[in-house]
Amino acid sequence: MRTRSFRRSLALVAALALVLTACGGDETADTTAGPAEGGGDTEKITVFLIPSPNATAITALADDFTAETGIEVEISETPYGEAHQKQILAFQSGNGQYDVVQFDNTFLANYGANGFLEPLQDRIGSSDIYDINDFSPAIQDYGDYKDDTLGLILSTEPFLLWYRTDIYEELGLSVPETWDDYLANARAIQESGMADGQILGYSTPVNAWWWYQLVWSFGGDLYDDDLNPTVNTPEAKAATEFYVETLEASSDGAISIGGDDTTNQFISAETGQMIQYSGYHPLVVDPETSSFADVIATARVPKGSADVVHMAGWNIGIPADSTNKDAAWQFLEYVMGKPNAKRFLEEGAAAPGRISTTTDSGLLAETPYLELLNIPAEVRVERYPQLTVYPEFEKTVGDILANILSGQTSIDDGLAEMQEKLTDVLAAEPR
Amino acid sequence: MTFARRTAAPNGPPGRTLEHARRHVATWLTAPTWVILMALFAVPLAVGVYLSFRSENLSSLGGGEFIGFENYTREVLSRDFVAALRTTVLVMVIGMVVQLPLALVLAVFLRWNLRGTRFYRSVLLLPMLLTPVAVGLMWRFMLNTDLGIINWLLTETGFGAVRWLGDPASAIAAVVLVDSWQAVPFLMLLLLAGLAGLSGEPEAAAAVDGANGFQVFRYVTLPMLKPVLLVALMLRLIDGIKLFDTIFIVTGGGPGTATQTLSLLDYRVGFTFLATSRGAAIGVVLALMTLPVYFIWRRVIGVEAR
Repeated sequence: MRTRSFRRSLALVAALALVLTACGGDETADTTAGPAEGGGDTEKITVFLIPSPNATAITALADDFTAETGIEVEISETPYGEAHQKQILAFQSGNGQYDVVQFDNTFLANYGANGFLEPLQDRIGSSDIYDINDFSPAIQDYGDYKDDTLGLILSTEPFLLWYRTDIYEELGLSVPETWDDYLANARAIQESGMADGQILGYSTPVNAWWWYQLVWSFGGDLYDDDLNPTVNTPEAKAATEFYVETLEASSDGAISIGGDDTTNQFISAETGQMIQYSGYHPLVVDPETSSFADVIATARVPKGSADVVHMAGWNIGIPADSTNKDAAWQFLEYVMGKPNAKRFLEEGAAAPGRISTTTDSGLLAETPYLELLNIPAEVRVERYPQLTVYPEFEKTVGDILANILSGQTSIDDGLAEMQEKLTDVLAAEPR
Repeated sequence: MTFARRTAAPNGPPGRTLEHARRHVATWLTAPTWVILMALFAVPLAVGVYLSFRSENLSSLGGGEFIGFENYTREVLSRDFVAALRTTVLVMVIGMVVQLPLALVLAVFLRWNLRGTRFYRSVLLLPMLLTPVAVGLMWRFMLNTDLGIINWLLTETGFGAVRWLGDPASAIAAVVLVDSWQAVPFLMLLLLAGLAGLSGEPEAAAAVDGANGFQVFRYVTLPMLKPVLLVALMLRLIDGIKLFDTIFIVTGGGPGTATQTLSLLDYRVGFTFLATSRGAAIGVVLALMTLPVYFIWRRVIGVEAR
């Protein structure tokens, strides 16, 4: 009797718990971000942004867009750390929560492989406002995945050489054109005692970004057309040896320096030169944030056996489940189109590399680095590897590089391990 | 009314019926707690176990399929898992070796109630009031090799700069240091409460019998404090297994994977790689690993109760 009563109570508790759990799930979905009201006819769009200078510029233009078109814009911001997980959950729900989404180019493959985004090539092809030809041919495909264009170019941020003009002048150094010159300059600066020779990112997993650049510059690649890793090759080995050598011409703590820290080091401590993405330019030249704002100049990233530049950046697109695609495209044309390109930069955005802005004499006088975003056609532009398994790919590379840099493993052993591990990682990539 | 009628029922002894009614009422009164516990703990755990046998991936629209123990063999037998387990145990053991004696010494000092004790107690408790993320960020800046205040102090006092976060051994030391900075005040408070609850008579008797201060502490105070020490040890063991936030902020698991604990590995696989099922498998193993701690905990509580 008592047992039956206990079982009955337990069953009731379990049932209530399940109901409570189910209710909890619904509440989470509701509070994530409200879906755009109504269906395709409503004049309201929801824009998912990730806090960044470009998001600030988009927000600044949104009010004017509403005033001009009558379309309401609801901005939803989510920090980078959770942004893509939140987007994926929203896409999977298929409720049309967002009409426009900003995303890192590293997620383009993932979104493309799953059909999360609306192909935009037809709209782009017929839009004079957007004007794709205003971008140099080398970067026109920055939002492409396979045969579709899934994102507009929100920013293109190539690696640049950043150097201290005062130190270069004092030591009689010239701007390096090759990686050998770069290392020679770094050693000269280090030996002079004036400053640390140079700085790159060395901590995991961002060390992978600088290493990719070196592997490509030294004539190697990360994987072949059949997705077999190619990281245990003479080119990759030479690149890794070079990478380790640069560490010796750096500050004592360089090995634990990550992405943002690299720039912080360059603008706050005596450091002769740095390789870093162009998007950091506002921070580097602002006297309020940079101790050396008036003695820093930029140049193209040095060459190896190949003339190649690694380019990071943001994309912005329309989710496939959006119920307001036309209004969303109208918004994208407005904020990302050629007519507002100059204002977009003036609102603080990292430049998306439009020719009309990178050749604008007024803008160039203010920000000379813009010219470097005009990538010549002969220079190969390399994005982050376009893989759905990219996060695991990057972490695998980064962890092993950190072990090599700290001397826990040799370059030969490390690259062999990387080859083996990446084989497993890439096996999960859809062919 | 009903209650009164049942106690007077002729079918059995009134005391037994009363006991039955009490149990019935108790079940209903505790039901809300059970509902919440099951909703927040048991159901997610069951879903986690279910996911761990499938090939679900957050980044894929296609539904996963049942793959048996594949996630377990892939993740739990991997070099990364073994390395993370080693790091977890290492950080936990070094942490306990450092934290418990230090907390005990501080608690004993505070028990003496010397001048300024109230002030020192307040100061010593401050780290406990801060959030681990804020603490982690603060220490990360202080441990910066080139710009951090700790290396500045070391250099100014004639010691060399240490690559705190760039060398595996010093990174482990840095993690233990930061974790200890936050954990010692809590342990100290716990042990101080334990010391305050001790009867002073056995200690006084030992002193009368000629035992010196150390002998009184070693042979009288410490054995009496054993149950509290065991509780403190268990709490640190549990904290050690789930240690995440401090490491995530201070070292990010680096250099390489030198400070990557099991919790951090689980986070990386589940949330960075978006490999939901693989992350669930690590989580299930992590939960299973804490089970012995639960049984030891029950035993410790039993010792304390006696």
